[in-house]
Formats: sequence, structure tokens, C-alpha cells
Amino acid sequence: MIYVLYVIVSVICIYTARHYWFTLNRLFGFQLHPYIDIDTADWPPVTVLVAAHNEEKVVANILSALMTVKYPEDKMLVIPVNDRSTDRTREIIDEFVDRFPGRIQPFHRKEGKGGKAAALKDAMELVKTEVILIFDADYIPGAGLVKQLTAPFFDPEVGGVMGRVVPMNCGTNLLTRLLDLERSGGYQVDQQARMNLRLVPQHGGTVAGVRLSALREIGGWNDTSLTEDTDLTYRLLLNGWKTVYQNRSECYEEVPETWPVRIKQIKRWAKGHNQAMVTYGLHLLLGKHRASLRERIDGTLLLGVYVMAPVTLLGWALALGVFYRGVAPLHGIVAILSVTAYAAIGNLAAFFEIAAAVRLDGSRKRVCLVPFLILGFAVSIFAVTWAAVSQVKDALTGAEFHWDKTERFRKAAS
Amino acid sequence: MNPFFAVVGLILLTSALMVLPLLPALAELHGKSDALPLSVIQQHTGEIRFFADGFRSYMKGLEPALRECVSSGAHSTGTMPDGSEYLVLGRGEEALLLPFRERNQFRPVMIASASNLLLPSETSFSKDIYSAGSVMGGTNNHYRAILAEKDIRLGRESSVMRWVHAVGEFSADGGCRLYGRVSSDAGIRLSEDCSFLRLNAPYIAIGAGTDPAQAPGPVIADATTHQRLFHDGDFEIRAGEVFQGNLVVRGRLRIGVGARVCGSVKSEKGLVLEPGVSIEGSLISASIMQIGPDCRIRGPVIAEHMVLIRKGTHCGTMENPTTVSAPNIQVEQGVVVFGTLWARDQGQAVASL
Repeated sequence: MIYVLYVIVSVICIYTARHYWFTLNRLFGFQLHPYIDIDTADWPPVTVLVAAHNEEKVVANILSALMTVKYPEDKMLVIPVNDRSTDRTREIIDEFVDRFPGRIQPFHRKEGKGGKAAALKDAMELVKTEVILIFDADYIPGAGLVKQLTAPFFDPEVGGVMGRVVPMNCGTNLLTRLLDLERSGGYQVDQQARMNLRLVPQHGGTVAGVRLSALREIGGWNDTSLTEDTDLTYRLLLNGWKTVYQNRSECYEEVPETWPVRIKQIKRWAKGHNQAMVTYGLHLLLGKHRASLRERIDGTLLLGVYVMAPVTLLGWALALGVFYRGVAPLHGIVAILSVTAYAAIGNLAAFFEIAAAVRLDGSRKRVCLVPFLILGFAVSIFAVTWAAVSQVKDALTGAEFHWDKTERFRKAAS
Repeated sequence: MNPFFAVVGLILLTSALMVLPLLPALAELHGKSDALPLSVIQQHTGEIRFFADGFRSYMKGLEPALRECVSSGAHSTGTMPDGSEYLVLGRGEEALLLPFRERNQFRPVMIASASNLLLPSETSFSKDIYSAGSVMGGTNNHYRAILAEKDIRLGRESSVMRWVHAVGEFSADGGCRLYGRVSSDAGIRLSEDCSFLRLNAPYIAIGAGTDPAQAPGPVIADATTHQRLFHDGDFEIRAGEVFQGNLVVRGRLRIGVGARVCGSVKSEKGLVLEPGVSIEGSLISASIMQIGPDCRIRGPVIAEHMVLIRKGTHCGTMENPTTVSAPNIQVEQGVVVFGTLWARDQGQAVASL
């Protein structure tokens, strides 16, 4: 039991050091934004896929925004991927098709496998361009975003591009404010640090792009994956394609406003991530492919982030067990000093990262909410553990994954 | 002391200590003083002419004064609605007669001219300048920003702190320092020892004698080229060789004299283009890039550290403008870039590399 605890503590320490490394890099390191200055070019033809499943509340906003972006009109085609919607999504899309002839080509999917990856896979029959951009229907791209997300594809090594997601409904309640802080930490520090350090920036599946030839080379969209974005990140990496992150390519999104919706969302992310870990983890770390050593290590740690929740819970249980059995880990004094050191520094790593991100964003008072993040972490740790346990149970019983769409909270556009 | 009260007191004190750090959080949660979404400017496109366009709109308020000064041939002064003082010149050459240094010392004013503007030397202009005609600056001047509806020419050793836009051609004599955005609807010409950050124009010619019209014919891109060669370690394309497809090299890359690449090129380390190389796609390096002389590159040129471009090299074409970008850029006389030349930290036009 004590040795298992040692392993868990070691892994937690690795993640702690990683938090500090990323944060210090963002605060003091060299920042890499190589493609953001490409403002003049012979821009390539682009297809923009908008994934929409029962999105009557939001789909008009994104289509309106895409019709006003600064990109040569004759080189951009928008394909709303209407995935078996039962609300007014189809009607709204068709209204836009009539208003903007030749610029929008709808893909109305009436049947087929559920899930975003399956819908995108079917929509690929309409895609003819080398550069594909992907947005979920609740996002609102700014005027320069399409150019910014397209620019990295001038680099022949780039297979995927990811922009930054910014919550637009962050002031609604405590949950949205906590999610705003988490997003800030995740993008402003984590993703950009991975970019700076040439590690593995993660493809997010929205506010993102992918190269058609790269997608074909890796076998297209994987419709068995619950998180097609994570799956795509690792298949691109294993095949020698880079995913790059553009921190200044920002786009508004809507975050969950209720805890049940948030829990459902994070459970799906956890299951999808764990699925990718099982599929690619060992091969990434030890297999023969084009990823560098640092990409192998960071990629493996990234795959493990959602496993850390049950591992941490197990660690707590083991620590209690060790304490009540009267077993002294290492020498008593070493253990006490280690626990004290971790309590003083290690526990603060994630909070430090988010506070630094908020500082980099130029925000002021919202950093005061950082102590409340412990509430969000507590909910996440149990939700993610629950997801992992049910995933193992599903694997044993042969049950199929079920894809849950995230509920929208915006009022429908008139 | 009663042990009961001692325990209760300890619990209350501990609870108070636990709640104390949460007070600012509770105040922010309740007060929502910083609860708006992060500012993402939806209309932001990074347009280099953004400030010039804004200033032109601002100058519409001075149109009546400009017309009046043109008809009277005199100059006038006044104050804009935002409190900025201005000087309107009916005849641009009047500027040579005005005591700018004395004025700047105490009362910086915005200058607007209805016709071609001649500016004296050794002067600091701490407010924006507008000319409905051209602007001809003296030597060793310091400008904040200039907008001209025709050409702009800056004298030797002058500097611009924020931006310049010329509807006609912009040219800077030797030793000028251009710290902000410089754009032109016609072309930009920089003499040797000029430093720059961000330039945009149909053509950017380095060196007084460089003629962009003498650029070689456009490099034709093969749009169907998506095949990629991946090479671990250093790689060389030999002189005169024609390489089909996109090339990604994890080490150093050298492209020999007169070679041609029908696709895009990326190297993780140093990249050297020997004389006369032709690239039909983009040119990317995660390190330092040395180009030329006499190379032709059709697509964007991006280096994560430095780009050195030697004489006779052309990036982009008049029909297909492109971007050259790196933290540090050095360009030799005789180079022409069609589109954008953007040095994040420092760009320098030099006589010889």
C-alpha cells in the first residue's frame, strides 16, 4: 500500500512541477506567435464547418458573424453541418442560404450515427479545400479570425490549428465565473506554454482548423471517439503533423450555466480523453513515430490529466489508510517535511497558474475569485472519477458510449 | 477559563481565519466589479491603416477650416472638440516660416495643410500631421504620426513614433527610424540604415535605386501540390534541382544555387537559400533564415528568430503580395517585398550584409 502511495505522490509532484513550468514560461519565457503577423498573402480557399445539433438558439449568430469576416468571399465556403436537428435549426440555416447565395452550402443530416465526429465525417463529402476550419454553433468568430486560423497552414508542417476560447456569459453566476477562470488558465497559460516549449498544444475541435491532406493521411474523423478533438491531436502528432495554438485568435463561446450541464460536459470530456489515453498512450510514449522526446512526455502527461482525478482520490484514501494503520512513510521527519512543503507550494500550483493567466489577461478583480476554484475542482474531481468508473464498467459490460450534447443558455436570435 | 468556552472560542477563531481569505472573493462575487467577458474586439482585423483611417475621419472636422485657408491663402489656429489645438496652413510652405521649436516646447499642436507641406529640419512634431497634398520633411526631425493624401518623404535621420500613411509613395532617406506602422497605397522606399517595424504597401523597395517594376515574372504556384516529404536531420537540395512537393526538415536546410521548389519549405533549424533559388510556396524556419541574392519567393516568409535577405531578392509579386515576418529582419539594398514586411523587434535596411 505504501509503495502505491509513493507512486501516486510522485505522479502528483510531476503534474505540480508541470504547472509551475508552464506558468513561469508564460510569465518570463520567450513567447512564440510565428504566424499571427501574416496579414498579406495569397489566401487559400477555405471551408468553414459549423457543427449544429438542435442549435436554433445560436446558429443564426455564428452564420451572421461568418458572413462579415474579412476573408476573400470567393475563397470561403461555409457548410453548416445540421446533424439531425429536430428544432428550427434547418429553417434558420436555409434562410441564410437564401440571403447569401453561393456562400453557404448546407449539409442537412437526417440520420446516421450520433456525435459531432460522425456528422463531420459525413459532411466531408462536400469539402474540396485543403484548409478546413471548424466551429461549434455557439461560437461567434470576429472579423479577423478566419485569416488568423488559416495563416498557420502556410507552414507545411502544420496539420491542425487551435484558437483561444473566451466565455461570453462569464458574469452569469458563480459557475460561469469559475469556468471563465479555468478557461483563462487553460488557454492563456497551458496552451500557449505548450506552444512556446514546442510540446503538444491540444486541438479543441472548435475555433480550430485542420489540413485536409493531413486528415486524409490519418484516416479522417474518428466517429468512435467521444472527443474527436483529442483524438485528432494525437493522430496528427503520431503522423508527424504539428498542431499549433494561436493565443491571439480569440473567439467568444457560451459556457454551461448550471452544474448538471457542467458535470455532463466534463464527464464526456473525461471519457473521451481516457479513451484516447488507452488508444494512443503507450504507442505515443514508446512507439516508433515522428514525435520528439519532449512531445512524447508532454503528450503522455496531457493524456493522463483526467486519470489524475481518481488517482488523487485513491491517494487520499491510501494516505488515510497509512495514517490509521500507523505506518510511517519513509522516515517520519522526511514525510512531515515533504507534506509541509507540498502543502506550502504544491497545492498552490493550479491556483498560481490561473492567477497568472488572469494577470496576463489584464483582468483585475476577478482574481479574487481564485479561492472559490476549490469548489469547481471538488466537483470536477468527483465527476471525472465517476466518469472513469462508469467507463470501466461500460468496457466490462460492452455498453456503448453515449454522446451528450451540451445544453445552450442563450436566447434565440429573433 | 471554562474549557467549553475555550473550545468554542477556538472553533470560532479558526472559522474566522478560514473565512478571512474568502472575503474579497465574496465581495467580488456579490459586487461583480470585474464580471464582463474579456474584451475580444469582434471587428479587429489587424488592419495596418486602422489609425490612419481613424485620423482621416477625425480630420473631417477640419474640412471647413482647410477650405477657408485654401481660399484665403492664410493660416489659422483653433481647438478641436476634444481640446486638441490645431494649426491649419493654406499654403504648405508656410510651415518653413513658423517657429515650431518654440511652439512645441510649450504648446504642441496638430498641423493640417490643404496643399503640399514642407517641414523644416531639426524639429519635433509631437502631434499628428495631416496633408491634403504631399509631405516633404527636413532632416533630423521627430514625428508622432503623419497622414498625407499624396507622397511622403522623410529627411535623413528622422524618426516616426507611431504611424505614417501615404496615399502616394512613402520614402525615407538614410538613417530614419520608423518605430510604428508605415503604410502606403502606392509603395514604400527605404534608404540604407533605416530601421523599421511594420511596413505595408503594394511594393517595399530597399535602396534608392531599386526598381520594383523590374521584378522578374511571377512565380506560378502549383495548387495541386499537397504531397509532403519529411526528413529527420539536415537536408540539401542541390544546385539546379527541381523539388516537387512540400518539404519539412527537422534539421538544417540548404537549397543550392538556382534550385526550384514547387511547394512550401519548413526547416526546424537554420535555412539557407543560395543565389537564384525559386520557391513557389511559403518559406518557414524555426530558427534563422538567410535568403539570396536574387531569389524569388512567392508565399509568406516566416522565421522565428531572424531573416537576412540579400540584394536582388523578391518576395511576393505585385499580383500576389505576401508577408515577410520575423523578430529580427535585415534586408540589403536591392530587395523588393510586395505586401508586408514585419519585424517584431527590429528591422534594418543595410547597404550590405
